[in-house]
Amino acid sequence: MKTNKRAVTADMLVHLRKNQPRFEGIESGHRACLGCGEALAARLVTEAAGPEVMIANATGCLEIFTTPWPESAWRLPWMHSLFENTGAIAAGMEAALKAQGKPTKVLAFGGDGATFDIGFQALSGMLERGHNVLYVCFDNEAYMNTGIQRSSSTPHAAMTTTSPPGSERMGKRHLKKNILTIVAAHQIPYAATTSVAYASDLRKKVRRAMEIEGPTFLQIHSPCPLGWGHDSAHSIKVARLAVQTGLFPVIELERSELIGSMPIRHPRPVTDYLKLQQRFRHLFNKDDARAVEELAHIQALADHNIKHYCLDGEGMDALDSDGADTVRRGGMRWA
Amino acid sequence: MKLTRGGFAYPGTTLGYKTGTWRIQHPEHAHWRAPCHAACPAGEDPQAYLAALDEGNPRDAWEILIKVNPLPAITGRVCPHPCEAGCNRGQYDEPLAIHSIERHLGDEAIAHQWLYPVNKPSEKAPHVAVVGAGPAGLSAAYHLVRQGIQVTIFDEMSEPGGTLFTIPDYRLPRQVVRSEIERLLDTGITLQSNHKLGRNIHLQELQQDYAAIFLGPGVMKSREWSVDGVTPNDLHEGLHLLKRWSDVSSVPDMKSAAVIGGGNTAIDIARILKRNGVDTHIVIHSSLPDPKNPSEDDMRAIPREIEQALEEGVQIHDHHGIKRLILRGEKLTGIEIVRMRKLRNAAGRLHRVAFEGTESILHVDQVIPAIGQVIEATGMENLLNGSSWFKVNEWGQIAGKDNIYAGGDAIEGNGGTVTEAIGNGRIAAEAIAANLNKNELPTFNKAEPISFTSLNMEYFEPAPRVEEAILPVEERVGEAEIESGLTGREAAREANRCFACGNCLRCDNCWTLCPDSAVLKTDEVAFDGSYYVFDYDYCKGCGLCASECPTGYIRMLDE
Repeated sequence: MKTNKRAVTADMLVHLRKNQPRFEGIESGHRACLGCGEALAARLVTEAAGPEVMIANATGCLEIFTTPWPESAWRLPWMHSLFENTGAIAAGMEAALKAQGKPTKVLAFGGDGATFDIGFQALSGMLERGHNVLYVCFDNEAYMNTGIQRSSSTPHAAMTTTSPPGSERMGKRHLKKNILTIVAAHQIPYAATTSVAYASDLRKKVRRAMEIEGPTFLQIHSPCPLGWGHDSAHSIKVARLAVQTGLFPVIELERSELIGSMPIRHPRPVTDYLKLQQRFRHLFNKDDARAVEELAHIQALADHNIKHYCLDGEGMDALDSDGADTVRRGGMRWA
Repeated sequence: MKLTRGGFAYPGTTLGYKTGTWRIQHPEHAHWRAPCHAACPAGEDPQAYLAALDEGNPRDAWEILIKVNPLPAITGRVCPHPCEAGCNRGQYDEPLAIHSIERHLGDEAIAHQWLYPVNKPSEKAPHVAVVGAGPAGLSAAYHLVRQGIQVTIFDEMSEPGGTLFTIPDYRLPRQVVRSEIERLLDTGITLQSNHKLGRNIHLQELQQDYAAIFLGPGVMKSREWSVDGVTPNDLHEGLHLLKRWSDVSSVPDMKSAAVIGGGNTAIDIARILKRNGVDTHIVIHSSLPDPKNPSEDDMRAIPREIEQALEEGVQIHDHHGIKRLILRGEKLTGIEIVRMRKLRNAAGRLHRVAFEGTESILHVDQVIPAIGQVIEATGMENLLNGSSWFKVNEWGQIAGKDNIYAGGDAIEGNGGTVTEAIGNGRIAAEAIAANLNKNELPTFNKAEPISFTSLNMEYFEPAPRVEEAILPVEERVGEAEIESGLTGREAAREANRCFACGNCLRCDNCWTLCPDSAVLKTDEVAFDGSYYVFDYDYCKGCGLCASECPTGYIRMLDE
């Protein structure tokens, strides 16, 4: 094995950075942790949405790590809202732009806490009033920014600082809230889930939502190496396994009807996904009958998802859970 | 409305903050040679020409290929392709059909008369003599000319090609050999046909007249054979029959024959006899190869050829040895064969044991030994010192001789393939050129090739291997070539299956998946075969790019 390290000058890098063949709404220098799934997801969203957008961003990791005063990583008009009112702020921005006759699309960004819990009523109001906003939820399944507290998105049996495993509980007692169905119940034109592991799928769904006049919703599964307790190099691997096990169904709903799903070619056992993460570590004590039961429970949840959302693949499909991330020489898959 | 400084920030200003300082490890592009490259006796890097073909540039692919191997249309047909045995894709679905692509590129070059991109050496350049116009000699000559050295080849036959003409047409059509060699010689190589060492020319003269000598005489004499000192009086040996078949397309009259030996010569002669209506047996003490379980005791012939011979009706008696000739007068009426195995004796050495009570009679009227060939020493006695092979160092230099090199079947330890001979020729040529130009000798890359486990299989899809069409058994008559080549479309499809092990696939994975936008895409300033550079000012060292690189081209190193 030989390496060939050659100095690339600072001037070259500045020039290159300015001439990358894609639009990046978030610049380098942000303070996200190593291997942050959310930072990647947010950049991919801005890449697909393009520069003609404005963003309302709820309190949370994304807000914190992109805007350490007096700097900003954003290259887009961006406004920080409170934890609870992102939906309302985005609705107001949209109404103002509409009044001015400007075509700029408004995006609302929030984590799972800001979406599933604290900002839920503002989101519901925004959806109900039919604002032309794409609401993107970066779902990392807990309040990571404040120190990994459970949210209603935290999956069953996961350890957080407020759902510790012990003599009484095996991690979180409750189930992950099915936010997509709740959102879709507002009869909005488009609501979908996607994952950072499938960048093409993610961008395709952003572009689709951008074309729709009216409220749209995208839930992006974004691993958090710190909160989930996995190697920062494995963010994509973990996210991919969430899809391949059936624990995170990748689906699309229109007017609350299921209109598309990413089929799973070979469903993987949930333990493949769980064992990479420290937050599920307590489930791997073979001598603990509760752990064995919880593993079976999580497998049953995955099996239920596969059946409920018709995720069973029928042979090879270029867009299934194995085919959708196939690489091609020259990068053609990332179209 | 005027915003206070606390209320806004200028876009993209985090660029002033270098998150690279957080890093405890960093990614690096690291070309790591592919197993096909490591396995090729000629030194080809199939991964590199498959890449060019996949990009839609067959001519570029051919030019990459012939930088190492000038005879791809030939080796693509006859090489046992160890590259495919090494191919990492074999552990995923099926190995790449590298030999078919090699042949395809060679055939394309012939069809389009692509010229070797080599300049004719100047008349002032040093002059090297090459003895033997077989694969080793031709390769040495070509690589010398590539490096600006004049070459004259001396060959005893009237036509260049050497051992290539003992390979039957159904495997390697003579026309292919001629087309390839003709274009090769046009690069500026001088050929002196009908010049036999020790008869028309002498080593001493060559030493006086030329700056260096490369010997690629091959092994053109059959090894002595008898059973307890007895041979039938009408004995034909295998190599002789192959030459006769090549020259006049006929075999001596016989009804049935037992070929002794398990190499390619034995298989070739058996198949030719079968095509001429002879009831043909092969008697060999080693075993039939099992592709799933290769062993040291396997027959030496290429497994694919053995398989085709069996299809055609050649009967192979493996694990059998010949015990006795049954003669009526001096005419053969049969042979007695016996089961044999390779076993360890008390001292731990492997040796063959014949099992008493397993004798049987094979009724044949000819026995044809094809048990190997040896060098014809004429004119080179002083160099051989009574040995059957040349003893050479790793550059092919004959021990104790500064300017005499050898390669091909005639050197000790050679595996006896065309490809290996081509490799010997190239290495010796590089060493000769280095010596003449007073440069450093070429070095050998002995590093381990990249392993299957270093690749990320999530990013590849199963795809069936493209197979060349094979002539049905009933149509295998005379000299018709059995395997037809790939079409351009098939070859491109097959090249697309390559994992590009240890090399940049330009797939954009690192560029797309870096959460810190610390991978920049570029055509201009990338190096080492990559299309991306790392911006270490911002790279936090998370390792995601290395983990998600499909080809193992990125690795993480500690700061």
